[in-house]
Amino acid sequence: MIEIRVDEEACNGCGLCVKDCPMGVFELKSSVSSPVHPENCMGCLSCHEICPAQALEHRGVVPCRRMYVSMKVCRMLNRVI
Amino acid sequence: MSESFINEAKQKFTTDLVFRAEDVPMRCDPPAEELEQTLHGLMQLNGYIIKSLEEIAGRGANAVTYRAGKKFGHEVAKYFEKKSDVEDALRELSYILHGQYTFEPWKPSDRDEYIVEENGSTFIYLVFHDCIVRQSCRRIGQEQGGPLCQTLCGYVVGAVEEITGRRGKLEIIHTGPNACLKKLILK
Ligand code: SF4
Ligand code: SF4
Repeated sequence: MIEIRVDEEACNGCGLCVKDCPMGVFELKSSVSSPVHPENCMGCLSCHEICPAQALEHRGVVPCRRMYVSMKVCRMLNRVI
Repeated sequence: MSESFINEAKQKFTTDLVFRAEDVPMRCDPPAEELEQTLHGLMQLNGYIIKSLEEIAGRGANAVTYRAGKKFGHEVAKYFEKKSDVEDALRELSYILHGQYTFEPWKPSDRDEYIVEENGSTFIYLVFHDCIVRQSCRRIGQEQGGPLCQTLCGYVVGAVEEITGRRGKLEIIHTGPNACLKKLILK
């Protein structure tokens, strides 16, 4: 099963992940997002893309092949990082 | 003085290799690293053609690409074994889509069955993991769920209709960078 963690320090309580997730995985509790139904997560990671605080972490997600990422860019990034 | 560009180009494209009519290439050439450029070129070509189509045809683009995909799906699945069982049909479909698209049946935790029969129709949720269409959209910064995704929907529906002999529909429920949720309905 997919495990979801929210960095409570980073989360600003905007609620975007709550609205975005089609599975109702998140709920806001005291202005912090909380994964109340992680068992319903299908690993689309659209919440990662929408979270302005990058506060989300998913474990156990099947990664899709990312062919759109250019090897040249990756090589450059690897050199810089 | 440096050689003219034409001479340079002529030299580059001159070999003494001999090709005979019966020669069949035995391996994919060039290696994967070099194929990247070709792959990206194809993704861009597909993406931009569909983007232009959307600009020309507006909302009608979805219907056109869906129909085109559906026709292609029927063509591809024509030679596949016909199956009336939905699970068998999905297995067949995964063979057809292998290497381009991978999917798995999905259900929310409060539901007991993957395949649901309701008012004479059957539906099942599918999570698409690998998808060349998603990659193409992201390659050119195009939103998911538009006409390029409709080609895939049509393709899947065409193939499923061909395999099962039932009329089908595929709805996009949600799109994401790593997976998309779709609902396959068979009537
Ligand atoms: S990955 Fe998708 S399904 Fe899972 S919590 Fe995020 S938005 Fe919801
Ligand atoms: S989108 Fe990010 S910052 Fe906003 S509530 Fe969700 S986890 Fe918190």
